[in-house]
Amino acid sequence: MNLVRFYLDNTREVVGLVGQHLLLVLVSTAIAVAIGVPVGILLTRRPAWRGPVLGLANVFQTIPSLAMFGFLIPLPFLGGIGARTAIVALVVYALLPIVRNTYVGISGIDPAVREAARGMGMTDGELLRIVELPLSAGVILAGIRVATVVGVGTATIAAAIGAGGLGVYIFRGVAVVDNTLILAGAVPAALLALGADGLLGMLERRFVWR
Amino acid sequence: MAIGLGLGSSCPWAEAPARLARAPLRALRVRRAGPSGHGKRRIGLALIGVILASSCSHPNRIVVGAKNFTESDLLAEIAAQQIERRTGLTVERKLHLGGTFVCHSAITAGQIDLYVEYTGTAYTAVLKHGAGPAADSVRQAVAREYRQRWNLIWLEPFGFNNTFAIAVRQADAERLGLHTIGDLARVAPRWHAGFGYEFLNRADGFPGLAAAYGLHFASPPTAMDLGLTYRALADGKIDVIAGNSTDGQLAALHLVALVDDRHYFPPYEAAPVVRHAVLEQHPEVGRALLELRGKIDDDEMRRLNAMADIEHKDLHAIAHEWLARAVP
Repeated sequence: MNLVRFYLDNTREVVGLVGQHLLLVLVSTAIAVAIGVPVGILLTRRPAWRGPVLGLANVFQTIPSLAMFGFLIPLPFLGGIGARTAIVALVVYALLPIVRNTYVGISGIDPAVREAARGMGMTDGELLRIVELPLSAGVILAGIRVATVVGVGTATIAAAIGAGGLGVYIFRGVAVVDNTLILAGAVPAALLALGADGLLGMLERRFVWR
Repeated sequence: MAIGLGLGSSCPWAEAPARLARAPLRALRVRRAGPSGHGKRRIGLALIGVILASSCSHPNRIVVGAKNFTESDLLAEIAAQQIERRTGLTVERKLHLGGTFVCHSAITAGQIDLYVEYTGTAYTAVLKHGAGPAADSVRQAVAREYRQRWNLIWLEPFGFNNTFAIAVRQADAERLGLHTIGDLARVAPRWHAGFGYEFLNRADGFPGLAAAYGLHFASPPTAMDLGLTYRALADGKIDVIAGNSTDGQLAALHLVALVDDRHYFPPYEAAPVVRHAVLEQHPEVGRALLELRGKIDDDEMRRLNAMADIEHKDLHAIAHEWLARAVP
């Protein structure tokens, strides 16, 4: 098959692009978790901010990637061309599921549980650490899982801004209409997405206390 | 189902399923009497017929396609309006379809009836020829091969040449005295380039250009979206791009195109490519499009593109005004 021959002929390049792709997804998802989970927690403490913040995350989600890159290129620290700009865009796209699931997970806990914890004399921090986060871990992880799987697909747009990844084959294939090239990028991206979904699903089952 | 029944003779391959499309009522009656695999299969085939038929060009409707950039959309809109006002045929627009190859696949499959193509692009990217001969013979070679291989007809060109513009910032060009691509080779080792995927992978693209001029940049050119290269160049993130010479953005962003002093690029004359069957059935379409011959030179095309890209005027309005003025 053409695809198999292509991979055999270009093994080094393929491995390099898969590596770049994984790095883009890992770094951007990690940053999105570092921002999104605290923001989600904050929203449960300041319910008035919920509308504007989730609304903003929703709006981010709808910005077409090329338009987003266009906005980012002139920016001094976040912008330019290359991996940094791509990661910024991917973080922006990953925020919504993480923030929303964190908020929904924590605010969905039975108020009676929270009352009981307070009655035992827990501080805010203890309540969060011992009660709220463990109880909502399933929902939060589900959000991270969605963000990661979607991120594997979205990361193909990094190739539009010179950041590499499997999108390179897709863009190249579209430019010269070579279906083998398009598949050479799309198939491993799909496999990576399935793999990430399976792996995070396992984590979810393993660590979530039900 | 009406679509399936209303087929003209231009869609022979949709005929057989279309005949089956007449069976759905019977099939439904069979189904009502009791579940029947035969009936279900009939409905399935009828649906396929409808899908095939609806994607097939209608005998009295001309489908105009375009590639996914302003100039292609604009020329398609001009051609569409010219056909509408001269022939009274209905014109369906399928603009912004994707690159050269999407349009080429669409027209060879009969999904669109015409679109505007560039001679040099057809010569190198579609027909896969190497370095091109002189201007007139590229057009003749392309026209001959298109006719033989796909029964597609090249009509007369609009009159401009949209070549690749190897562009730099105007300030850099003035400061360093850059006029030609040959001059660029001098400063290239300190510079960074950013090119679209098509330019990097085309036969008439970067590898050949680099060889013809001995271009060696500080790093391998960054592969990125073509539209983003303009902005990245204007913002100083890269130093050289390969844009389109008739693009309105070059002047607006204070970029200048360097002269191809070694004539590496073949001519890229824009002309409508039409299915032969359409011209036979509707010779008035060919006559209408012939009126556009030589009406748009490089400056005029740049001006029209700028109206769309920089002033953000509506394509329909630009085409309408231009036709009223230039082809009364």
